[in-house]
Amino acid sequence: MKKLKNVGVYTFLSIAAIVSIFPFLWMVVSMTNKSVDVTKGRLLPGSHLIENLNVLFESVNMVTALVNSTIIALITTFLTLLIGSLAGYGFEIYRTPGKDKVFNILLLSMMIPFAAIMIPLYRLFGRLSSTVPFLGIDTLAAVILPTVITAFFIFLFRQNTKMFAKELVEAGRIDGLSELGIFFRIYVPTMKTTYAAAAIIAFMNSWNNYLWPLVVLQSPEKQTIPLLISNLGAGYTPDFGVIMTAIVIGTLPTAVVFFVMQKYFVEGMMGSVKG
Amino acid sequence: MMRFSQLRIWLLVVAVVTVLALAACSSDETSGGEAEPDKITAWAWDPHFNIAALEIAKESYGKDLELDVIENAQDDIVQKLNTGLSSGSMKGMPNIVLIEDQRAQGFLQSYPDAFFPIDEYFNLDDFAPYKLEPTSFDGKQYGLPFDTGVTGLYFRTDYFKEAGYTKEDLMNITWERYIEIGKDVKAKTGKDMMTLDPNDLGIIRVMIQSAGSWYMKEDGKTVNLVDNEPLRKAFENYKAMMEADFIKANSDWSQFLAAFNNGDVATVPSGNWITPSIEAEDSQAGKWAVAPIPKLDIEGSVNASNLGGSSFYVLNIPGKEKAAEFLGKTFGSNKEFYQDLVLEVGALGTYTPASDGEAYQTENEFFGGQSVTSDFSKWMEEIPSVNYGLHTYAIEDILVAEMQNYLKGKNLDDVLADAQAQAEAQLK
Repeated sequence: MKKLKNVGVYTFLSIAAIVSIFPFLWMVVSMTNKSVDVTKGRLLPGSHLIENLNVLFESVNMVTALVNSTIIALITTFLTLLIGSLAGYGFEIYRTPGKDKVFNILLLSMMIPFAAIMIPLYRLFGRLSSTVPFLGIDTLAAVILPTVITAFFIFLFRQNTKMFAKELVEAGRIDGLSELGIFFRIYVPTMKTTYAAAAIIAFMNSWNNYLWPLVVLQSPEKQTIPLLISNLGAGYTPDFGVIMTAIVIGTLPTAVVFFVMQKYFVEGMMGSVKG
Repeated sequence: MMRFSQLRIWLLVVAVVTVLALAACSSDETSGGEAEPDKITAWAWDPHFNIAALEIAKESYGKDLELDVIENAQDDIVQKLNTGLSSGSMKGMPNIVLIEDQRAQGFLQSYPDAFFPIDEYFNLDDFAPYKLEPTSFDGKQYGLPFDTGVTGLYFRTDYFKEAGYTKEDLMNITWERYIEIGKDVKAKTGKDMMTLDPNDLGIIRVMIQSAGSWYMKEDGKTVNLVDNEPLRKAFENYKAMMEADFIKANSDWSQFLAAFNNGDVATVPSGNWITPSIEAEDSQAGKWAVAPIPKLDIEGSVNASNLGGSSFYVLNIPGKEKAAEFLGKTFGSNKEFYQDLVLEVGALGTYTPASDGEAYQTENEFFGGQSVTSDFSKWMEEIPSVNYGLHTYAIEDILVAEMQNYLKGKNLDDVLADAQAQAEAQLK
């Protein structure tokens, strides 16, 4: 009887595994096929990989896009973590009247879809273009700034800070550390897992971000990976083999980041639940 | 209790931020005051088609002009234009942008000041008349017509031969005749007649434009569904085709391409821009031909229609004169350039003086030696002109749902009346 149950469980799990792995498998296989074969749904690896890579690296700015995406994702991740953790720490550690009200309002901002604030944001950066250098449409700052302060990360850090032993803060103060010193020398090292989890999410969000970079970046040399992939599919006769190749290459960095930090990710996310 | 020094720093920060914000808001950045830029930019979406066309235009222009052609997917261009124009900030907008004809009125009417009229830069009479209506607004010409979406009935000569039909049997037929033939072909060869995406009523638009009708009346605003005889006929044909069981359903572009690349369908009624996709399958060379698109069985319908097609627009920002002159001297008047366009890109423009050029007569071996370009340009001149208006895609969303009800058995009068009511309520 138990064996029968096991068979059922394994069948279900196998089906679930196939369903989730198949698209990736197909993506990788299609990377080696001609466009016509991809549309025909060919499932066997072909011999077109080198051609696809050649087209990708010669006809479009794949390298530039990779560099752009990397720079934007790294800066965004760093700033998001810094601001999110400072704010989350502040909300939890310090006692200020009305801080919970402020925090609730902050959480409400998570409900506003980005599309709703996109036009005002564009207007803002459009105006800044003519007054402040390096801060208008089509600049690095314009892509990064609106995405680094998010209620989600402040919330994540605040919840995790609940597990942080507040006695350490007292101890730091007695030992004569400044408030920032306590944050950087005591809090940051103890909260490594939370930082790792947040880093994965922030990196992925930034790497996959589409809408805002799309409207705010204009020059082709500033294009990010999702924009490049979108352009590849733009023509009346898209080359699906090349598109799949670009997608596989574009997915690798997030996969690497995830696998490297996977161990911390689960711990970090657990923290916010337990709190 | 905050210390005084801290408080002062905070006040200073708040003051600086406020000043910056105010400075940013008060600055006036309308186009007038800015200098002419050295280079002009253009947005288009297909590197093998309209982008390639712009590059050829740049070469043929002769004059020293720095033109930066930027590739963006079509939906991305729509998104970027909408965001930019509705924010009122022309920063980052291109000088020239390619817009699909069926969307153009939406942009022109929503942001009339954002575009630059270009009547003076080319001769309107040189272009296919059906193309001028959607590209102009309020008596002014804003778009320079580019490619035509003239339709044709692509068909597999080998399948039809097997079923006992010749090419002549498909010339200038009605959709009713098409359905009869389709049933026969399916019975004899087992092949489906065509592939359709149930969420895209392109075929309905092709049918009604062949009779000079559209979802809206000539003013482009009044919803025209309930007493629209061509539309009624088109719906009936659509249902008859579904019931004839020779439609292979597809759910996206790649499946659409796959259906004929795989040889699963006998015909592809589509815009001429599908030619390269059909030619992509080398093994089918010589097995295709193109006939005129079928017409509706009513008075006034012709064997010519349109699906898609786009035009160039100049934005009202510094560099507009340069951009308009460039378009006028190339796409607007250069016959030789159009020959290059046909030979190198396979793009068929709507500039009628170009059609007697040599390149247009070239025989295409993939289509069994047929002069496809020349045929298409003949049909192009017969396309009835309609005003696509503002809401083509909004109304089509309603019709897609109502079409499903109709297929399930709802009465056609109710279908059209309900669609009309929904459209009127939504577009009020």
